[in-house]
Amino acid sequence: MRASAVAGIVFANSGDSFLKKLTAKRSMASVPFGARYRLIDFALSNLVNADINTVGIITKENYRSLMDHVGNGVHWELDRKNGGLYLFPPYLTSGVKKYNGTVDALYGIREFISRCQSEYFVICHTNVLANIDISAAVEEHIAQEADITLLYKKSAAVTESTDNLVLALDSCNKVTRIDFDVSVGKQAAYGLGVTIINRHLLLELIEKAYEEDLTDFFADVLAKKVRQFKVIGFEHKEYAAFLKSADSYYQASMDLLDADVRRQLFNRSRPIYTKTRDDMPTRYGTKAEVKNCIIADGCVIEGTVRNSILFRGVKIERGASVENCILMQETSIGADAQLNYVVSDKNAAVGKGMVLKGTQQKHFFIKKNEIV
Amino acid sequence: MKNKKCVAMLLAGGQGSRLGVLTSKIAKPAVPYGGKYRIIDFPLSNCANSGIDTVGILTQYKPLELNDYIGSGKPWDLDRISGGVHILPPYQGQDGEGWYKGTANAIYQNIEFIERYNPENVLILSGDHIYKMDYSKMIKNHIETGAACTISVLEVSMEEATRFGIMNTDENDTIYEFEEKPKHPKSNLASMGIYVFKWDKLKKYLTEDEKNPDSANDFGKNIIPAMLNAKELLKVYRFNDYWKDVGTVNSLWDANLDLLNPKINLDLSDKNWRIYSRNTGMPPQYVADKANVENSLITDGCEIYGSIDYSVLFENVLIEEGASVEYSLIMPGAVIKKGASVKYSIIAENVVVEEDADIGADPAVTGSEGWGITVVGANLNIGKKAKISANKMITESIKEEETV
Repeated sequence: MRASAVAGIVFANSGDSFLKKLTAKRSMASVPFGARYRLIDFALSNLVNADINTVGIITKENYRSLMDHVGNGVHWELDRKNGGLYLFPPYLTSGVKKYNGTVDALYGIREFISRCQSEYFVICHTNVLANIDISAAVEEHIAQEADITLLYKKSAAVTESTDNLVLALDSCNKVTRIDFDVSVGKQAAYGLGVTIINRHLLLELIEKAYEEDLTDFFADVLAKKVRQFKVIGFEHKEYAAFLKSADSYYQASMDLLDADVRRQLFNRSRPIYTKTRDDMPTRYGTKAEVKNCIIADGCVIEGTVRNSILFRGVKIERGASVENCILMQETSIGADAQLNYVVSDKNAAVGKGMVLKGTQQKHFFIKKNEIV
Repeated sequence: MKNKKCVAMLLAGGQGSRLGVLTSKIAKPAVPYGGKYRIIDFPLSNCANSGIDTVGILTQYKPLELNDYIGSGKPWDLDRISGGVHILPPYQGQDGEGWYKGTANAIYQNIEFIERYNPENVLILSGDHIYKMDYSKMIKNHIETGAACTISVLEVSMEEATRFGIMNTDENDTIYEFEEKPKHPKSNLASMGIYVFKWDKLKKYLTEDEKNPDSANDFGKNIIPAMLNAKELLKVYRFNDYWKDVGTVNSLWDANLDLLNPKINLDLSDKNWRIYSRNTGMPPQYVADKANVENSLITDGCEIYGSIDYSVLFENVLIEEGASVEYSLIMPGAVIKKGASVKYSIIAENVVVEEDADIGADPAVTGSEGWGITVVGANLNIGKKAKISANKMITESIKEEETV
């Protein structure tokens, strides 16, 4: 297999447990986001925008919607003769024990890693939302002759302690310590879950970790080896959101209403690709009133919508009022219904005149295909 | 090469001169339509949805953008191992091949292409109509009647009939006469420019027509009359759904605004008959707090801060605060800056309308005398406070405060 100098690995299920409602029937990677995307679109686009044309996606459960979404990778131009998209669902043989951690998962695809011949691997997760210039990070990795590069964002905003990865850096941007699951009140360098690592080192580390029965490649392996190797940090200076809970998902969605965030996340020179649906443009009716909204194609809006995110194919009938809501694909809102702080999953339907009120603290959630 | 039952040949080489500046750089089939489509998406999607997987696209005038748009044919599911979409430009050869002299000559010069698939029938389409049509029904009808040629027709009013090619038929829908734009029409069956021919018949008449140096090598003017003279069986196929020729500025504008009229039967959201287009990967549209959007079609990549009424906005359009757009088409990448006003106009791709410029006019204000749609050509700049009245075709940038 001839492949690019750099290959990608995406963990599709990391953080599944943070968005329990949205991941009941799908992986984190296929959680809808931003009116027309799935979370994995950001990781895949980041990789292909850095001319990476070989990407392996590791998934362990709930991957039907993910397979449906990524298909053969054509929407990211990953349908290639050389390289392309590889989907790795669990593959249980006597050689592989269980499939419970990232060490096992990487061990399970070590053949792919060694066959790739790409000298560098970029490992990503889908629960961090950012448009990252991976090319620049790889260049830095090579220029610094680093063994491992960890991408981070300086942020003060992370209040949820779960799954945080905090880097301690010296003045040369060398990583001196990695802490997990800590709550840092002050500004810190938070890991973006993007790791650049040399292929030989990656193979060596996973073989060893597997023998030693370690579980997590990041907490149990990388964090412990920081001083053994040249591990550097690379700062991503633009927008990034950490999706760790229903709240942070909602907040990141609403961040899109800010023009600055849109400019950074939808950087026109690094487009975010997604599966296309051939919807017609969105139609605004004669009585439509739309203020401060992000809207995908294929919607029909006859009512009032404020501060909301509408996914493809949402229908809002006359007299309905929708505020502070996230309505996913094909949600339909009947005439004169009133919604505030509602998050609806795909194909939800709200009947005529219904009143659904969540609060800023507690959103009203409508399950996939649910009729209210 | 696998044999095909039917091969479609799409005539896409016309200049479309009546669209003026809109086709100065691109062929008519590549003209944007309906927010995210181009005219050619309609015949191509109809082919894909009708199960026709082999389409030859005959290009001649300004083909660059059209070629680029069609690419491998992937968006229309026409990238096939056998068949698929093929761009067929004119070519040099030893037997006097060269520029396509007429619609029939264009097909004649590509007999070799069609023969590769050895089809029973050939479907001739053009790239300047907006309609959703199941060609397989027409072809089925054509096979059942055993006609040499079946021509799709639309019933129009008798007044309109004077503007069309009219088929005069007997009670069995057999054509006995064809009249181009008759002053006194005998029938109201207008040709839609969609023909199904038995391939052996078509090949025969194309070859004969080519031998006649006086022929215009045109389907309507030469091939159909020759077949009628020879007493071939020609049938009409009646189509009674939405169909519009978008060959003029007014008809293009009308056909776009038809999408906003609930009484007009052109539903592009029908999941069983998708109209496919090439997607460019723009983010979703944003409608701001101060925006006012009513009765409009808006697509990906647009950012709306101003007010929009009764308009179609194509991808990646920016409407700044205080700008207003009414009864207009704003094509991809155009920017309408603060305080500018656009009415009854077509603003082509990547035009920048500077602050407080004023383009077009409402016929209710100016009166219908001399009124018309104003068109601004692609990539032009309309200066601050410039004023452009109704019925203008703008081909060069307009300076600040200039009045046109």
